[in-house]
Amino acid sequence: MSVKVEQIEKNKVGLEILVPAKEFSLAIDRTAKKIAGEIIIPGFRKGKAPRHIIERYVGKEYLQKEAVDPVLGPAYAQALDESGIWPVSRPEVELIQVEEGKDLIFKAVVEVKPEVELGQYMGLGVEKKSPQVMEQQVDDELKRRQDLHAKLIQIDEGEIIDNDIAVIDFEGFIDGVPFAGGKGENHELTIGSNTFIPGFEEQLIGAHKDQAVDVNVRFPDEYHSKDLAGKEALFKVQINSIKRKELVPLDDEFAKDISEFETLSELREDVKQKMITAAGMRLNNEYRAEIVKKAVDNASVEIPEGMIRSKIDSMIADLQNNLSYQGVSLEQYYSYINSNEGQLRENYRAQAVERTKTELVLDAIAQKEGIAVSDEDVEKEMVKLSEQYGRKAEELKQILAAQGELEWFKIGIVSDRTIDLLVENNDVKKEEPEEETENTDAGKKE
Amino acid sequence: MRDARDVLIRPVVSEKSVGAVEENKYTFWVNTAANKIEIKAAVEKMFKVKVDDVRTLNVKGKEKRQGRYVGTTPDRKKAIVTLKAGNKIEGFAGL
Repeated sequence: MSVKVEQIEKNKVGLEILVPAKEFSLAIDRTAKKIAGEIIIPGFRKGKAPRHIIERYVGKEYLQKEAVDPVLGPAYAQALDESGIWPVSRPEVELIQVEEGKDLIFKAVVEVKPEVELGQYMGLGVEKKSPQVMEQQVDDELKRRQDLHAKLIQIDEGEIIDNDIAVIDFEGFIDGVPFAGGKGENHELTIGSNTFIPGFEEQLIGAHKDQAVDVNVRFPDEYHSKDLAGKEALFKVQINSIKRKELVPLDDEFAKDISEFETLSELREDVKQKMITAAGMRLNNEYRAEIVKKAVDNASVEIPEGMIRSKIDSMIADLQNNLSYQGVSLEQYYSYINSNEGQLRENYRAQAVERTKTELVLDAIAQKEGIAVSDEDVEKEMVKLSEQYGRKAEELKQILAAQGELEWFKIGIVSDRTIDLLVENNDVKKEEPEEETENTDAGKKE
Repeated sequence: MRDARDVLIRPVVSEKSVGAVEENKYTFWVNTAANKIEIKAAVEKMFKVKVDDVRTLNVKGKEKRQGRYVGTTPDRKKAIVTLKAGNKIEGFAGL
């Protein structure tokens, strides 16, 4: 087998691949055998017809054409290996010479990974924000917990006020006629929660237990049910009972009740710490993303169309996957969002370009910095991951390998490490010169 | 004597007949009225080879029914022709 490589365009390479005549003949023989097993030729049992009979039966051209496919794949793979070309798109194959007894020659045109012109990626000097938690936020969080643990008490005497829960029976009428869906019994309605149509809840304020109230409302014009939108309605409401939330006072007792802490200040401190940790993690992620984005922005690369297309393909495949969990097909989704595949692809395009570029740049940096992942590293990550999922590392590896994800897993580790490197070196530029001068100063003094 | 083309109809193409080529035996469908002498002469003339032996067999037509009508497929005759050593017919099954 031999390969001739020819640069067609930037990022586009043509491979002229030649498969020796002998090899091709063998392939034709194999194909003939395969066909013999599939078709019935009168006078022969399945698979028993000799090659020349088959050739006459299906035609020489057909046989040769069929024989090409199984040869093409391995030859192409081998050609890539030999030429060291790493394609990013499916090859466009053009057959140049297909004839038994002669070498099989074909040309595959592929898009290759573009050269990345790295810009500055060390010492980007992205500012790291330290997490800030306002006392107010802590207070809010405590209040939320307080609310969560509030007791409900029955109000037998007295009027409904805001935030009460009214347990009501109701029936709605339009022009004196009950309408579908306008009826409910023992419904727990929190006043002020805006779960009912505007005006409804307000009109219950001031009512007593066991009182019957007539509520006059007008359905909003944009109400989801077309029959009701914009209509005046009368609801006959019977108040069965009133519940009121009684907040437990925020004190040490409360802290003891809801947590393992003895005092409120301890609980408060804990809440604060947790919020700081959460905020810190979020900021850290943003920080990392910011650094990566900067490094990517500094680099320039011409992304071949094929890469963008396949990225969009995979994004749509992801979407389809997610949708299928919800039992929605892609077609249904298009009709929901009033769109079609063409539009969606267009929408995804910018994102796809960004992601592809990020991948390329990270990859280029990894290569330049010599970041590589050994099998042991993969092993280690595997163990980490397996602890997260509560599975055995071996098992996990098998699953990944079976799905052909092992390579991706590796790539993921490489890019993580690359990002780590970028983060570590974020401030390097500022620090290094200082250290150096210090050292030289010290050297002079001594 | 019948013309060679009237004697030999076409080669028999089957696993058995193709296998027999190994033994220098070539099988033909022949005119049911043809005899071994005619067949030998026909093969020699048509393929320019020397024939060693001819064996023939009659294949009776099968009874076929189409509803209540009974009919038969035609009777046929097969001839297995052995060539003298060193002779062969090129592209036998491809006639």
